[in-house]
Amino acid sequence: MAIYLYLSLLPEALIASMLCPEEFGTYYAVGSAKKSRGQAMFFEVDPDFRDPYFRVEEAYARCIPHEDGSLKASVYVSVYRVLEHMDFDVLKHLYLTTMDGRTLELSPSNQIPNEVEQLHLYQEIVPVSPLVVSRLGPLAFIDTIVRNPVSLVTLPAIVFTELQLGELADDPEMGLMENLPYSNRDHLRQCLSDVKTKYAATKMVDRVHSPNIYYRTIKNGFFVGNQKQLRYFPMPSQEEIRTNNYRWFRSANM
Amino acid sequence: MNNYMNWIYLAIVAGVISLGVALYLYFWVIKQDPGTERAKEVASWIKEGSNAYLVKLYRALGILAVLIGAIIAIVFSIQPETAGGGAVTLHFKDGLIMSLAFIAGAISSAISGYLGMRVAVEANVRTATAANFSLSRAFKLSFNAGAVLGLAMVGMAVIGMSLILLWTGTAEAVLGFSFGASMLALLAKAGGGIYTKTADIAADLVGKVEVGIPEDDPRNPAVVADNVGDNVGDVAGMGADIFDSYVASAVAVMLLGASMGLSQAEHIKYTVVPLILCMLGIIASLIGVSLVRVKEGQKPGPALNRGTVVTCIIFAIFLLFFVRFTDVNPGIFWAAVTGLVTGVIIGFTSDYFTNDTRKPVRETARVSTSGSAINIITGFSYGLISIVPSVIGIAAATLISYYVAESFGLSGIYGIGISAVGMLSISGMIVSADAYGPIVDNARGIAEMAGMDHEVIVRADELDSAGNTAKAITKGFSISAAALTVIALFAAYAEVVQAAGVSISISLREPIVVAGVFLGAMTPPLFSALLMLSVTHNAFDMIEEVRRQFREEPGILAGTHKPDYERCVSLAAEGALSSLILPAFLAVGLPLVVGFLLGPNALGGFLGGAIFTGVIFALLMSNAGGLWDNAKKFIETGKFGGPGSDAHKAAVVGDTVGDPFKDTAGPSLNTLITVMSLVASLFAPIIAVFHLFG
Repeated sequence: MAIYLYLSLLPEALIASMLCPEEFGTYYAVGSAKKSRGQAMFFEVDPDFRDPYFRVEEAYARCIPHEDGSLKASVYVSVYRVLEHMDFDVLKHLYLTTMDGRTLELSPSNQIPNEVEQLHLYQEIVPVSPLVVSRLGPLAFIDTIVRNPVSLVTLPAIVFTELQLGELADDPEMGLMENLPYSNRDHLRQCLSDVKTKYAATKMVDRVHSPNIYYRTIKNGFFVGNQKQLRYFPMPSQEEIRTNNYRWFRSANM
Repeated sequence: MNNYMNWIYLAIVAGVISLGVALYLYFWVIKQDPGTERAKEVASWIKEGSNAYLVKLYRALGILAVLIGAIIAIVFSIQPETAGGGAVTLHFKDGLIMSLAFIAGAISSAISGYLGMRVAVEANVRTATAANFSLSRAFKLSFNAGAVLGLAMVGMAVIGMSLILLWTGTAEAVLGFSFGASMLALLAKAGGGIYTKTADIAADLVGKVEVGIPEDDPRNPAVVADNVGDNVGDVAGMGADIFDSYVASAVAVMLLGASMGLSQAEHIKYTVVPLILCMLGIIASLIGVSLVRVKEGQKPGPALNRGTVVTCIIFAIFLLFFVRFTDVNPGIFWAAVTGLVTGVIIGFTSDYFTNDTRKPVRETARVSTSGSAINIITGFSYGLISIVPSVIGIAAATLISYYVAESFGLSGIYGIGISAVGMLSISGMIVSADAYGPIVDNARGIAEMAGMDHEVIVRADELDSAGNTAKAITKGFSISAAALTVIALFAAYAEVVQAAGVSISISLREPIVVAGVFLGAMTPPLFSALLMLSVTHNAFDMIEEVRRQFREEPGILAGTHKPDYERCVSLAAEGALSSLILPAFLAVGLPLVVGFLLGPNALGGFLGGAIFTGVIFALLMSNAGGLWDNAKKFIETGKFGGPGSDAHKAAVVGDTVGDPFKDTAGPSLNTLITVMSLVASLFAPIIAVFHLFG
């Protein structure tokens, strides 16, 4: 029987499971009365991935069906500081699960979005989850936050997504906030104005922002980076999702 | 044709044609493709739930109708020997006639409501299936299904009234028929309103807000009850509601016509005229209904509105010919046209306050960015303002129809009654457009639950939005018609009391009248409160049930286990029925208590107070509720942050507050004031003789 390996982002954990990605997403979001409910984001990891930091074999040995024949849903290999020990080449697909358990598969792409000179809003997901505005495009943002040798505050690895700003990307003071369900709108405008006009290139909008995301607000996709590697998982357009994954589209309140 | 009794036969023929067309359309709908097995299975859940509720409701109402019928038979068998009091004599035949008329009214109302619901639960799945092919096909099917209710309702009403008038020769017996229809309508409307909002609120608050599943998701245990609610509240309840206003307006005019102190021939003429207007309205509605079509690429909303306007014009032309080629007073034409025009204007002004292209909805949506409190204050305030054009319209229609009638030498109050009949004469078309709404709403739900293609849902959404506009217009129409009807019934009440040999003086200088006014003014708010508390109480129970199901069976959310839909359907039905006892007593018992205790003058004051606050509360609640709903929908188009934003969360609170406003209490109030006016008029001869004070 197949055993899958998942890198969960909410919470950060490496998990062995007998469930396929769609079933795992449903299980993780709604499938057990004992678990807390909510969105899930996880990567499917090559099951042959091994690192001395993770006791994968031990977890696989425990990943066997229950006595009643039902499949083992999860065996936690590791929690906390998982991402920094991952090799990003083993990440196969990213799965986004809605609050009510519908799952969408995102495939990796080499076509990283071009840097455009405008303001950006980043939702960091792992290892910390602040909401940040920046003048920097996604690649420059990764360089600053992960690879900058002179900065005192760096992360060993990061997963983040860029959120839509609409007209605010060019005009933070007067731009319309259509279809942008962000709280504390005035503060967001102020932060955007600050990075546009002041010296600092990035500014924190919300220190511990809930990593639950309105998927429709994702501008381009998910970025996964560390000192050496960068992977990008683009989000399909709303029209594509509507046509190909209508259930998920409805469930995600697109 | 100046022998006006012959017109009654023609009215019966028109009623039979209307009923025949309704039956033809019913069988046409049944013959359409019901779709896939999955769609049929989902539709069968809704059908079974709707039938189960109606069986329970009609069984309870049947017992109540027999009980009230028996009381009426006894009470109306006892009549004072002389005008103004004295010894009593027994007239069993009169009592029996009144009792049978009452039961016939209740049965007719029940049949038209049942037929409407029956076609709705057959049409919903077929509309969803038709939407697979084209919008125009789905529209034709759903509108024709709505027309079954509209045409059956007016047909049944006209046949019933005509037969009773032919049989007894008195308008008083038709009053019994009207009371039966109104009594059933009140309970069907209030019960359906409680049912539908109980299920809707529970489905939304747990399913959408707590668990995060979308609307109409089959994993929601309350989703079938929610769809059943659309049928029992918006189709069966609304059908019974308009049936009651339609009959009551005609009866009020018949009573006034009978008391105009004219020659026997004139007396018959003015008693029969409302039936003739109904007959002309039926023919106009049949033509109007046949003209409502949508071609591929066209919007359904304008087609519905066009149908209403064209029907009005055709009716006005028929009426002009009728007045021109008979010896009837031409004032009738102007009074009826006044009512007709006012109805349309009030309907469209109601739309102004609930349309998302207009300021009230947009402003309420905008201020939602500051929280739910501001949303509620703003929506409530616009709801209060929305009363103004309608009340001005009702006041203008009252004055214009009164003075127009007077200027033609007709009784002014008779003119007011005619304007109400004119307004309601095209009910066949109005109800057809209104009943279309819940059918497409259900079709959308079935498409969603049966996993149909997203194009079907897009088409169903487009059909649904047109249904919401039609609904807003109908509400304005029915409230204003009810207002004019009860004004005429109020006058009829005074006439009946005076006919019993008792002089009536409803002056605010008399403390007993003032007491009556206060008691009457208190009743609509109290009635509204009872209905809304029933919704919150029942919704609380159902919320707990939905939570329990999700908690105890995780497979429901995972999609591996079917929820217990029946439990929610049963909870909603039992809750709705048990909640009706006190409101029913208020509607029937309170006018009698006031009348027998404080006398006919106080009862007149009571009716006046109830009419004024009833109309104002009905307008406020219907419009504010619609406004909150559409403000939320406007935000869901992406404005002010879109779904999930703080503004949206605030608007969802406003919409939930507005739900029982617009779908439970608001639409029941016009029936309440009609029932109270009918009770007063019906029992007026007895109250005039037997009362404690006053």
